[in-house]
Amino acid sequence: MPSEMITLQLGQCGNQIGFEFWKQLCIEHGISPEGILEEYASAGSDRKDVFFYQADDDHYIPRAVLLDLEPRVIHTIMNSPYAKLYNPENVYLSKHGGGAGNNWASGYAQGEKLNEEVFDIINREADGSDNLEGFVLCHSIAGGTGSGMGSYILEHLSDRFPKKLVQTYSVFPNLDEISDVVVQPYNSLLTLKRLTESADCVMVLDNTALNRIASDRLHIQNPSFAQINTLVSTIMSASTATLRYPSYMNNDLISLVAPLIPTPRLHFLMTGYTPLTADHELNTAPKIRKTTVLDVMQRLLQPKNMMVSLSPDRTNQHCYISILNIIQGEVDPSQVHKSLQRIRERKLASFIPWGPASIQVALSRRSPYVHASHKVSGLLLANHTNISSLFDRCLQQFDKLRKREAFLEVFRKEPMFKDSLEEFDESRGVVDDLVQEYQAAATPDYVHWNPESSQI
Amino acid sequence: MIHDALLILWDCSHAVEKQKEVVTYANQGDPEIFARITDVAKSHHKIQHFVEATGFRSRKSNMGLKLCGLYSQALSEGFSEVLQSYKKDLMEVEGLVIGNHNYTLSFVYSYVEKYRGLFNTLNKIISTIEQRKLTGCQILSLLHQYILNGSEKVREAILRIFSCVNKVFVNQLCTWLLYGELKDPYHEFFILNNQVQDPSDTFLSCPSSTNTCEKSLVSTLQDTTLECGYTLNTSMIPYFVPLSLAQEILFIGKTIILFGFDPKKEKKNSSFVASRTLMPLQKCGVESRRFTIWEDKEAEFHEKLQKLKDPEVFEVCNLRGVIREIKECVTRHLWTVAVEEAQLIHELKLMKDFYLLGRGELFLELLRLTAHMLDKPTARTSTRDMNHAFQLAARAVLLSNSADIEKFSFELPYVKPNVSANTSIEDDSSTVADGWSSIILKYDFKWPLHLLFTPEVLARYNDMFRLLLRIKKTQHDLHALWKTYKQSTSFKMCQLHNKLMFLMDNLQHYMQADVLETNFSRLMDAVNKTNDFEKLKKAHANFLADVLSQSFLTVTSSGESDSSDLTDSLNNPVFCNIMELLKLCHSFCGMNDTVDDKEAEDYYIKGYSDRFSKLVKQLMQLLVSLRDRPCGVYLARLLMRLDYNRWLSGEAQLTQSVTNMLRY
Repeated sequence: MPSEMITLQLGQCGNQIGFEFWKQLCIEHGISPEGILEEYASAGSDRKDVFFYQADDDHYIPRAVLLDLEPRVIHTIMNSPYAKLYNPENVYLSKHGGGAGNNWASGYAQGEKLNEEVFDIINREADGSDNLEGFVLCHSIAGGTGSGMGSYILEHLSDRFPKKLVQTYSVFPNLDEISDVVVQPYNSLLTLKRLTESADCVMVLDNTALNRIASDRLHIQNPSFAQINTLVSTIMSASTATLRYPSYMNNDLISLVAPLIPTPRLHFLMTGYTPLTADHELNTAPKIRKTTVLDVMQRLLQPKNMMVSLSPDRTNQHCYISILNIIQGEVDPSQVHKSLQRIRERKLASFIPWGPASIQVALSRRSPYVHASHKVSGLLLANHTNISSLFDRCLQQFDKLRKREAFLEVFRKEPMFKDSLEEFDESRGVVDDLVQEYQAAATPDYVHWNPESSQI
Repeated sequence: MIHDALLILWDCSHAVEKQKEVVTYANQGDPEIFARITDVAKSHHKIQHFVEATGFRSRKSNMGLKLCGLYSQALSEGFSEVLQSYKKDLMEVEGLVIGNHNYTLSFVYSYVEKYRGLFNTLNKIISTIEQRKLTGCQILSLLHQYILNGSEKVREAILRIFSCVNKVFVNQLCTWLLYGELKDPYHEFFILNNQVQDPSDTFLSCPSSTNTCEKSLVSTLQDTTLECGYTLNTSMIPYFVPLSLAQEILFIGKTIILFGFDPKKEKKNSSFVASRTLMPLQKCGVESRRFTIWEDKEAEFHEKLQKLKDPEVFEVCNLRGVIREIKECVTRHLWTVAVEEAQLIHELKLMKDFYLLGRGELFLELLRLTAHMLDKPTARTSTRDMNHAFQLAARAVLLSNSADIEKFSFELPYVKPNVSANTSIEDDSSTVADGWSSIILKYDFKWPLHLLFTPEVLARYNDMFRLLLRIKKTQHDLHALWKTYKQSTSFKMCQLHNKLMFLMDNLQHYMQADVLETNFSRLMDAVNKTNDFEKLKKAHANFLADVLSQSFLTVTSSGESDSSDLTDSLNNPVFCNIMELLKLCHSFCGMNDTVDDKEAEDYYIKGYSDRFSKLVKQLMQLLVSLRDRPCGVYLARLLMRLDYNRWLSGEAQLTQSVTNMLRY
């Protein structure tokens, strides 16, 4: 099977969103929680094999590797109806089970220690595919395991599989509420460095924005993890729709990612999705009647539908580097051109001044087994220069702690930071460069911007 | 004297000799009147002679060989019928004359005088037929022209004759329309079974007759030669039957014959092959098809057709009305056979999936397996390797179980490398036939879909296929380099790669959304709306023509005669430009292997960037020259995507007029 993707789920958050993702895929492909194809789904022309493989006994097994340093989430998964779905050999729990204590350094160190075992699993999984296209890493950047161990794995994935794509779904912490993880700014920054340098494409899932969307758009007072994760899995499944439902184009991950990312380091993508409905509102909410392509495309460009919280762009200097819309449902294809024209005429989106850019619209099918509440739905994947404001906030929070030299003891305990805290400064430099590069990308002078000079 | 006159009128040819001896006339004016009587007698004699020569009785004699035929026979029947009244009058006058000797010559003449006009007309008809050697439907046509006559008597007579001949015509029409049989031993009908002749010689709707390319493209795509050797014989079409009606008549008969070839009703393979080559009619199960097509309508149509025998009813509009009804019935039946039995809609989706790369993942895998092979000139084993790879790819994307995949196969025509000096130079300069330009996707469709997927149509589909495959391949190559350039340090290189990739991606998006999906959904709408096979065929032809022209695969310069030469599709300037861009991308992808040092790299980057800018600028300038053509609209659509943020147009430093055009 060509273009297979292996999913790596790391840490508490990574496993939670991974779990939701697989649940969603199972429903969309008509696969039972035990991995058996439902009778009604036997004639489908979808491609289950990008994410699943078929075992000898016709079970569909996810190409997923579940990793965690503490057992809680994985145990929940293993006690759910989906327990039999996964290949048990691909579920790895650290033996001492103590977790990483929300400490990046601890996660990184344990990653190093366990790397043989972890990469054994990954290698085996990679060997089992005909033409592996890449890896999808699900994790959070704030905790210990997902961020620390994730960082270690990211660095080494690109060493071991230099030709494969590495895409991450990275959950950014909710900055609106006070986190119980005090060292979160440290963790985030250290992870951001790896995401900048070792990942090919980072899908930014910003908890701040997800919570805001849940309360503002879905009218959920105190959104639970499960509700947030449903949002995430919707995005994940929609962004892989063209891979799973074959059509004329966008049949592999690279064809989704490459047009969006014109320069090496600016590979942080925002997502948007419309229309969104919460389960409890399905029956009561007034149906969104206007579901033309133009409406969907226009709504996708509205900041309130964006799943990343950006600082308001007061000077109006930021712009899109690229946009890809994946439209699913009953669409009149001739509307696409008209919508593009309208958006262009009304200047609803501003683009980079230094290179060609456009809104690409991919039409995709939808799962026939899921009842869709709307005729047309759309996912936006965008590369926008204002995402730098998110990193800028990370930097500010980091600086606040770093200035006070707060909570550094936990890091000093680990060998990596024993002698010096250089790693902190280096990471800060990388992220600062990234912010500046994004800001430069909004100007015409970006063509002369030299990433080499500023990095040193 | 009077007796002489009567004798002559009775048509005794030898009596003519005698009359010269007559010297004594009863009255002074008698010689004059006698001469007139002789005139009438002579023209009657001529008619009589013609009747005898062509009539039923004379068929066996050698004399009638030249003019034999059902129509001339019917004509002579008609003539003798008309002559009956003349003979009756003659009998009457003879009786009177014998009874009373006082009657004069002028009394006799008064009886026959009224026939002069009629005889003249008939003789004119006869001489025209003889001079022009008219046969069959031409006679019918001639007679029809004479119906309009001022003299009531002549008109009536001609009508009677016409109805005689018309019977033959209607009978032939009837068997042809209802059973697809041509009962025409003397080749008199306007439909001809010319199995021996090359059908293209007499093929009427050949594309060169139409003027503008758009139209001719649609019509050629619609042209479905029902391969059974029947064509129109233009010289035989009666003047009152318009060509279009004649073609409809031909179509109905052909279609009915076609139903007879239904492989399901025959032994399977033999007749399927035969239906595509030429098979004698008699073999097919006449009885079975009679009843399936018409159901209960057969009698109704038969009656309607028989009514046409009455010359008063026989009007072109009535004929057309009946033909229309029959055609509707036939096409509806055809629709049932094609759409319900042969699952046309499914097959159309297959066409989209395979010829138009709807199954992107399959072709992506195929490209991975065969790109290296298609880059090279085709070898003898290419076809086999390609098909093998196709099977592998199908298995890889888990399509192997599907019966649909079996219907498709590839062919890479192997051209023996020419050793002679002349051709080798040509080859080097322009077209080394690599796999990309020569690959053919073949499709084994169900009966009777060859009506829709004619060789011409499949050739056009293949044009599309090659273009799409090429674009996909180029895009794939560029994407493959993405990871490499992502790790590279050369920002310029990155940007160039990015520009090329942008171009290919947007070209693909344009193809998918604006061209393929839009037109296909339009086709599906049309197909679902109608249950008339002809309309369906037209919708499909329109679909293909639109797709081709929107992909710039057609020549849109109208007016010139050679513009309808569809095979020469490379003339389209937009297409040429796109091909140049594809070539540029291709050589850019190849460059990666050859360039090592920084200086050479810069040199190449500059070269490629300049070429890219030039081509893009050209593409934009083309818009100005093409703005009045339909092709220009589609180019504007493509450019709108490419120049979405107005960067390319800014970069190209266009003149004001072009910039104004680029508002799309």
